[in-house]
Amino acid sequence: MTTKAPNLYFDNAATTWPKPESVCRAVEANLRQSFGNPGRSGLSRSLESDRVVYQTRQKVADFFHIEDPSRLVFAFNATDALNMAIKGLLNRGDHVIFTAMEHNSVLRPLGSLRRDGFITTTAVPCDKEGRPDLDYLEKAFTPRTKLVICSHASNVTGTILPVDTICLLAHQKGAFLLVDAAQSAGVLPIDLSLLEADLLAFTGHKGLLGPPGTGGLYVREGIDLKPWREGGTGSFSEEDLQPQVMPEKMEAGTLNTTGLAGLQAGIEFIQETGIDEIRRHELKMRRLLKSKLLALPGLTVYGPADDAQCVGVLSFTVEGVDCGELGRLLEDPYGIITRTGLHCAPLAHKAIGTFPQGTVRLSPGYFTREEDVERVALALEEILRVKV
Amino acid sequence: MAVNCYFTFPTVYFALRAEAVLKDSGCSFKMVPVPRAISSSCGTALRCPCEEIDAIKEVLENNKVQWDNVHLLQEEEPRPRSRGLLARKEARA
Repeated sequence: MTTKAPNLYFDNAATTWPKPESVCRAVEANLRQSFGNPGRSGLSRSLESDRVVYQTRQKVADFFHIEDPSRLVFAFNATDALNMAIKGLLNRGDHVIFTAMEHNSVLRPLGSLRRDGFITTTAVPCDKEGRPDLDYLEKAFTPRTKLVICSHASNVTGTILPVDTICLLAHQKGAFLLVDAAQSAGVLPIDLSLLEADLLAFTGHKGLLGPPGTGGLYVREGIDLKPWREGGTGSFSEEDLQPQVMPEKMEAGTLNTTGLAGLQAGIEFIQETGIDEIRRHELKMRRLLKSKLLALPGLTVYGPADDAQCVGVLSFTVEGVDCGELGRLLEDPYGIITRTGLHCAPLAHKAIGTFPQGTVRLSPGYFTREEDVERVALALEEILRVKV
Repeated sequence: MAVNCYFTFPTVYFALRAEAVLKDSGCSFKMVPVPRAISSSCGTALRCPCEEIDAIKEVLENNKVQWDNVHLLQEEEPRPRSRGLLARKEARA
């Protein structure tokens, strides 16, 4: 992707943009050429769609070092995958532990199950840098604790959470670990042959550089989830109950074949570029942003002091200035796209002391350039000269 | 009348996995809809000449591909006349 125009899109933590050209081409080619329904009939056109699904599953499995691709279930985004995991695993009376950095895609499914008296939960507090209190976590286990849920990286502060340590703790206590990799997949290496997470949810439209409407859930061998969506699978059609064979058990309904073709191309782009190179670039952009921001008066930056402990997400506030207004001014007249407010993570904002007003979030991506960061810094300087 | 062999699979995933692992094996086969005469949980089957059965089974086993059954089916060869009719129709269009 080479473009002369400034790329002032700083909301890559929500959806990465631009996408690699190869992703756009893969989506278009799929829409134009592949018109069969996947998993239905075995006729050659349908099989073409099946092959896209099969190849993407293999590609994602290899990318995350998943030995058996049939344990990888496609979902429509991380929210879908998290719901699949939470609602598919928990039974009445179960206890769940989660960190304060979790997104509403975890908090709300848990919230409704708790409201209905189905489960009990414990939120593990996090410090101002977004790090969970591991002593608190260790003491939070009860004999009924079935599941621990932890983000791999925070969408508010960018903090990378110690999923390895939390995984060990959970397993010592006989609980499962669900990792929310929405912010990390594609920018931090994830090796599921080393990280022994039981479930891992990811989306395709962020770091994996694919289109919206793609994502998935890894389910470790031996874990049996109840499907939260039931219907046509193209198999066992004579039976009136959902088939119990993975991955189709969890994938009722026509999959987003076109999106998956794009996701496959997105992962290929990452593999060709090198995930370390992507990580290096995002960190460089974050460091540059942070150093520019810290030079401005009245501005507070959140998250770990050590940038190496973050993904490319940076939250800030300006004393006495509403973050919504800041976001609006950055967009008009400067054309800088940010995300303001609570970022669907109210507990994370409580942890870092920015609830309920929220923050302005800047999230550079692999296609952000130094001159784009310079423009953000200049724009903020101008805004603050008037405001502060 | 010729006898053809059909492998059936528990899921579409395994049918596709069979195709992928057999692609470069040198075995002769084709992925087809399951004939109505056969009962199968998944709608896609692998059709092959009977002499390929053992070689295909070996490749599937080596690659941990699950299959349900191997069926032998007596089938009529497609009649060349019907193809001719279709070709004439296409030529007119």
